[in-house]
Amino acid sequence: MDFYRLSAHEICRKVKSGEITARETIESSLERINSLEKGLNALITRVDERALEKADRVDRMLSAGEDPGLLAGVPVVIKDNMCVQGIRTTCASRILGDWKPPFTATVVAELEKEGAIVLGKANMDEFAMGSSTEHSAFGPCSNPWDPDRVPGGSSGGSAASVAAGYAPISLGSDTGGSIRQPAAFCGTCGLKPTYGLVSRWGLVAFASSLDQIGPFARSIEDIALTLQVISKPDPRDSTCNPSKRPDYQSVLDQSSLKEKKVGIVKEFMDYDIDPEVREALEKTIEVARSEGAEIVELSLPVMVRYGLATYYIIAPAEASSNLARYDGVRYGISSEEEDLMDMYLKIRGDGFGEEVKRRILTGTYVLSSGYYDAYYLTAQKVRQIMTSEFKEAFSRVDTIIMPTAPTPAFRKGELLDDPIQMYMADVFTLPINMAGLPGLSLNAGYSRKGLPLGVQLIGPKWGEMQLLAAASVLERSFGPSLIAGGDQ
Amino acid sequence: MSLLFTPVIGLEIHVQLATASKIFCSCSTDYIGAVPNTNVCPLCLGLPGTLPVLNAKAVEYGVRASLALNCTVRNATRFHRKNYFYPDLPKAYQISQYDLPLAEHGFINITSEDGTLRPIGITRLHLEEDAGKLVHGTSDGRLTGASQSFVDYNRGGVPLAEIVSEPDLRTPAEARQYVSVIRQLVRYLGVSDGDMEKGSLRVDANISVKCSDGRWGERAEIKNMNSLKALERALEYEIKRHIKMLSEGKIIIQETRHWNDSQGITISSRSKEEAHDYRYFPEPDLPPLVLPDGYVKEQLDKLPELPWDRKRRFKDTYGLSEQDSATLTENRDMADFYENCLISGGSPERTANWLRTEVLRVLNENKMELKDFPISSHIIAEMIVMMDNRKLSNTAAKEVFEHMIENSSDLHSAMSLCDISAGGIAGDQLRDLVSKILEQNNDVVRVIRSGEDLNGKKQKYLKGLVMRETRGQADPSEVSWILASLLENN
Repeated sequence: MDFYRLSAHEICRKVKSGEITARETIESSLERINSLEKGLNALITRVDERALEKADRVDRMLSAGEDPGLLAGVPVVIKDNMCVQGIRTTCASRILGDWKPPFTATVVAELEKEGAIVLGKANMDEFAMGSSTEHSAFGPCSNPWDPDRVPGGSSGGSAASVAAGYAPISLGSDTGGSIRQPAAFCGTCGLKPTYGLVSRWGLVAFASSLDQIGPFARSIEDIALTLQVISKPDPRDSTCNPSKRPDYQSVLDQSSLKEKKVGIVKEFMDYDIDPEVREALEKTIEVARSEGAEIVELSLPVMVRYGLATYYIIAPAEASSNLARYDGVRYGISSEEEDLMDMYLKIRGDGFGEEVKRRILTGTYVLSSGYYDAYYLTAQKVRQIMTSEFKEAFSRVDTIIMPTAPTPAFRKGELLDDPIQMYMADVFTLPINMAGLPGLSLNAGYSRKGLPLGVQLIGPKWGEMQLLAAASVLERSFGPSLIAGGDQ
Repeated sequence: MSLLFTPVIGLEIHVQLATASKIFCSCSTDYIGAVPNTNVCPLCLGLPGTLPVLNAKAVEYGVRASLALNCTVRNATRFHRKNYFYPDLPKAYQISQYDLPLAEHGFINITSEDGTLRPIGITRLHLEEDAGKLVHGTSDGRLTGASQSFVDYNRGGVPLAEIVSEPDLRTPAEARQYVSVIRQLVRYLGVSDGDMEKGSLRVDANISVKCSDGRWGERAEIKNMNSLKALERALEYEIKRHIKMLSEGKIIIQETRHWNDSQGITISSRSKEEAHDYRYFPEPDLPPLVLPDGYVKEQLDKLPELPWDRKRRFKDTYGLSEQDSATLTENRDMADFYENCLISGGSPERTANWLRTEVLRVLNENKMELKDFPISSHIIAEMIVMMDNRKLSNTAAKEVFEHMIENSSDLHSAMSLCDISAGGIAGDQLRDLVSKILEQNNDVVRVIRSGEDLNGKKQKYLKGLVMRETRGQADPSEVSWILASLLENN
């Protein structure tokens, strides 16, 4: 049976009602992976045996009359920068070798507590740095809609896994668009929550003030369900909001966008974006209007002008410090050298890929004495201004609609030698991380070549409820995301 | 014209805070003697995916120390990352404070050589995490020439308060005094054990020398001084070196120097590892630290009486000498013990005497802490009250005291085991005993009565015999009185 087609909601319901077993759903997923993974390369590490054991446990709990939780028997894929005790965590880098964390990320623990079953660790750009999942020590991941194209990145493996039907939900991390852009490229939903909504304990840091974990799914309903499970307060993350979370699933039956104000960004309307992406954006705005929303034109000049530059100072600065710990002393690859400095050079020279080195160098430079004020400090000030700019905008609107990425999925290798163009792929997403806001990418149709086209919805800080409500209204027009290669 | 040279000294003191757990995780701070790498967790090993959570107790101890150092405590502060590569620093950055330290602008008084109080400015106090420890496979324990090095992360993440002084110190003796005052203070506050040899209090010195001709040499930073004596010696050595250089017209370069205690010299430690650009930036994993309203006031109210205040009070209230007040307030346990004795009725002066001589002697002889002392303040006081009431002589008390120390017994069983009775030997009993002694020493009695004992030596001898016979249980003045009356009588 093709159980892999089911949503998380459906699986959980059917497993609990006894219609199917958790083992059957996992076996169906594993079959799907077996048939597609060679071409996709979405997973770095598979844990088939562990998954089947966990499935049997869910089935045993059910036959014993116990409740396995909100995600009973639901297969999930985890980006390979989140720790799961005893399972190799690589961050798609050589430098970590076969490192197996002795602890589990809060988000994964929460998923497993609710009966979800981890299938494996997803391919990604090394240390989440990239927009194409080509910068992986384990080879590039393909887009399930076109194997010659990239799935986006850095959470490309997580997006591809959901789009290809490995699992109905997966987790990614988003520092500058790494959930939303691959969601758009793979035609799934992807949510980057407000900074501080989801615990980062167990997420290998890229840029700590920007990183946020979020879900991929093929429906807003599954996004809301997954968010509910992973977004609990966590005393182990001092930046995680300690307040109780609302019931995200309660807003999904909202009937329309009446009396809602939807903002569009004037500067982006003139931006050089792919015509089909623009069409999808305009269509989305029309749907919003027809659902009763008032469309309000906003101006966000600082974000548009300085967002990218500011991001490429702050994120590399934090990364240069976060990635300094990979020195070959305690874990990961090691090397015996006569001199300590030689050891550092050898380990870090061999262990990191080009893009990671580029960002470490940039980050080290902007933090150096003599340059700090001109770069890092200035960028922090601009970040403040951008945050106020958004705050002001959200005093006027409930949601902002903008493109997720300027183009649909590009070809493999197309931007590999042009880092600046690659960085441009995140021009619409990274300001949202700078302001700490929630952003969601929703599939708004397909190009004439059959490539998914995403649009992005932005909410105010802690505005996940209204964001999900708006997304679910739009989704009713667009329909849920399709499974690539599935003949629905 | 001869040149005059003035040393200018500032100290950076790292104090390990005596919290039970580390500053950013719940691992134990009790690393002395622990098996290497056993007090560690994913966080203090710097494993990927871990995040720091600030220990509130470390903040409390830091604030307490800051207030006692007369500093202004910031209500809002933050942490920075200090980035550098070294194997004892598992994250390759130390979480420390930079532009907004916990506290600033304080001072502390030291007593200068002429006896006057001199305030030494405190620039700042900030919190940070300690690093692990490298153990090198060389005879001198240093990196150079080691074929193997080992890392122990047990110490990594122990909270530190770094106390930076203004360059107000002028002599090695002043520097030494300043450190001992800080050490006494942190111990009084209970925020650190302040043990230099164990490394829970570490001192780095910045020293430069000003010349009367207007030249002012660059400063040297001296490290690796593991005792007050080492600090004093290193500064003396360094001052001589600077003066010699300046006298010879040589240029002094700014550098870090390592004190070699066995050779008694400082050695330049210019190496690649020292040339750092720490690339400080705000720690994004920790939100700004905002102290709740009233927190600082509350900590101020909770401060114990500080050692110098207590010393003054001991002098004024109990009439103790300068020396006794200083000795008894040197540490808080002793001062508390003393005052507990007084509460139980001991007279101030005799109690002070007893603690300063007998109790301190036993502590020193046995290298014992007061908290491990086998006799309670209450029992010491009871003994002193008996002495005050002339029911127990000093000699008898000492015997009983020794017995209690050796057997950890209580006062009354010790007295009965020593065959000493409370109230001693007096009245008729004493008179009988004296008579018996006189009978046994007829020849001496005869000499005295014949008036030949001009300087009273013989009579003192008899008194000594009586005292020995009574084993100190008699009141010496009563013995004298009885002796005199019996000798006169016949």
